[in-house]
Amino acid sequence: MWALLLLTPAFVSLASVSFYPIVNGLYLSLTNTSLITQEQGFTGFSNYVELWGDPQFWNAWWHTMWFTAASTVLETVIGLGMALILCEAFKGRGLVRAAMLVPWAMPTVVTSKMFGWLFDGQNGIINYILLHAGLIDQNVNWYGSTDTAMITIIIADVWKTTPFMALLLLTGLQTVPNSLIEAARMDGAKGWITFWYIRLPLLMPTLLIAGLFRALDAFRVFDLVYVLTGGGPADSTETLSTLSYKVLFSTLQFGYGSAVSTAMFVTEGLIALVFCLYLVRQIRRAG
Amino acid sequence: MTDMKKRPTAAPKPVGHVTIADRRQFLIGSAGLLGAAAFGAGTSLGIGRARAQSRAEISFASAAFFGKETFGDLIKAFNESQDRVLVKNIELPPPSSSTEVYQGLVQQLARRTGTPDVFSQDVIWIAGFAAAGWALPLDEYFPADKRGAYFTGTLNACTYGGKLTALPWFMDSGMFYYRKDVLEKHGGKVPETWADMATIAAAAQKAGDIDFGYLWQGKQAEVLVCDAVEIITSNNGAILAPDGKSSLINQKGAVEAIQFLHDTIATGKISPQDVLSWDEEPSRQPFTSGKAMFMRNWSYVYPIAQDAKASQVVDKVGVAPLPSFPGGKSSACLGGYQLGVNANSKQREAAIELLTWLSSTETQHRIALNFGLAPTRPALFQDAQIKKEQPFMASLEKVFTGATARPITPEYAKVTLALQSGISKALVSGNVQAEMDALAAQIDKIVG
Repeated sequence: MWALLLLTPAFVSLASVSFYPIVNGLYLSLTNTSLITQEQGFTGFSNYVELWGDPQFWNAWWHTMWFTAASTVLETVIGLGMALILCEAFKGRGLVRAAMLVPWAMPTVVTSKMFGWLFDGQNGIINYILLHAGLIDQNVNWYGSTDTAMITIIIADVWKTTPFMALLLLTGLQTVPNSLIEAARMDGAKGWITFWYIRLPLLMPTLLIAGLFRALDAFRVFDLVYVLTGGGPADSTETLSTLSYKVLFSTLQFGYGSAVSTAMFVTEGLIALVFCLYLVRQIRRAG
Repeated sequence: MTDMKKRPTAAPKPVGHVTIADRRQFLIGSAGLLGAAAFGAGTSLGIGRARAQSRAEISFASAAFFGKETFGDLIKAFNESQDRVLVKNIELPPPSSSTEVYQGLVQQLARRTGTPDVFSQDVIWIAGFAAAGWALPLDEYFPADKRGAYFTGTLNACTYGGKLTALPWFMDSGMFYYRKDVLEKHGGKVPETWADMATIAAAAQKAGDIDFGYLWQGKQAEVLVCDAVEIITSNNGAILAPDGKSSLINQKGAVEAIQFLHDTIATGKISPQDVLSWDEEPSRQPFTSGKAMFMRNWSYVYPIAQDAKASQVVDKVGVAPLPSFPGGKSSACLGGYQLGVNANSKQREAAIELLTWLSSTETQHRIALNFGLAPTRPALFQDAQIKKEQPFMASLEKVFTGATARPITPEYAKVTLALQSGISKALVSGNVQAEMDALAAQIDKIVG
């Protein structure tokens, strides 16, 4: 009894900041609540029916999935490379490790503005370099073209978040016992073999957890899109976060907006499930 | 969602948040208020308090504009000017965070408690507030014969369902910037039709006088709707039918106009492809650095163009009404904040008194001089002091006469998102008719 009582504060605070908003969001998604029309009636699943047939939603859904997949894979691969380098002993390693984290420590809005200038169609340094290197014959309009806008946003995200991945993977690499690597070397294994048969398998759980974090985080991408393109041109960079922001806060349709958010929640749940299944399989195999 | 947001000269564009500078200014302001309150309490213990109690207490909410003074100072001046009404100023975020201002107002109005009694609103919110029953119809206080002193376009934007639900306060609109020196070499006459504009722009570009003929704003954002309203109206087209229940955006007038915008990039090549990702500031920069001949933008650009530290084109820039199509009339998208009274206000008489004072000739005069915000009363543009201190503003009367409201509908927030997406698609793909058909169907579903 006493123990339960002691748990109450923690339970109440968790319930009020975490459980209640989720339940309330779910409830709102079943109503036609709108601040503008002042309606607040229960409408069952009609929001979800509308959502299912809403091309704007599916457009944003695919963009979000594409962004999540591309940025997670790139960040994992590049981050792993960085982690492997930083794992080796060399002069000034501490400094490099600290410096590497700078992009990640920057506020995303600052990163967005910075990339806005770097990739500016007229005065951007990226165009300048590519033009002078002879790789392009005229300025590329990075954010104004449906072909390149999303790719540019992905590049910005990779630049910003790869250090975070590298850091997570570095800690994973450091748990791989040195004795195993020494033993492999004595048996005549070269660098690549050591990596492929010893480090990578032992790193797998960390890799999956880091990938899961990253994928769930990437799925919520908002600031980069909001600052750089606002979802344009022609909806080609609209993601679920920017769409739900527009529906919720510009048009104040809390009902339909909550349905969009719930759909995000469900998709994220599915992504997490896939990662967890792999993770469990990994652990079982290791055990 | 605002048009006035870039007013602070060369300030970085805040992104949906209050900037540090704003916050600091706010803190200084509130510290000042606290001090003033303490001082006031000290001095008003005697006779002052007895008088204050008999005054009707109301509140006023507005986005926070800054100039030589603040709206807080304005309200203070009103409180001191008479002894019947005492107004409390509720400061909302600055106009650059207009989504937050909108949310703040909606939340308060939806409670129907009568607070704030008087508020200012972006022109595009008027219809929504009126349809929700939050804005008091003002016809009985300002009958038709009293309204002649305001610009017609602004009055139209303040009218919903045949009723005046807002009172004009201050305004801005789209306008046509041109380079006087370059134009001199190419005929010297400011183009009045879009076709002439395109011809001159192409010639100047070909002659190497400038890099870009014409700059406008094609980013998928509110400003794209403004650019579209202007060019569509100047071709006798419209986005919504007069009754507001169906869309005309796939009709000839509108389609031709959007096609023209598309062609400035695709065939005429007088606009760089970059305009598709540019809003106000990115399009302003090449113009004030002397790279462009013509530009559509708001009034905030002029002071920057005349600032030698930020501009290569000091004294070389002229402003005119935007061109039109043959048979059409020049049109300028209306922006600005207008006044409204809360329908649930318990102090109607006092609220009307404040409203009348805020929109009066004297107060608009003061706002023009101290905030640089243009009056909605045409007569003030002839005022000697305004002409002397704000000569550019005084020259805008002709531009503002063509001011046109964006679609007047309570569903504006949904309509504008559809317009931004649909027009952006048309501009990118070039399938203007097909995209406009799809857009019209979508808008019909929203407003029908």
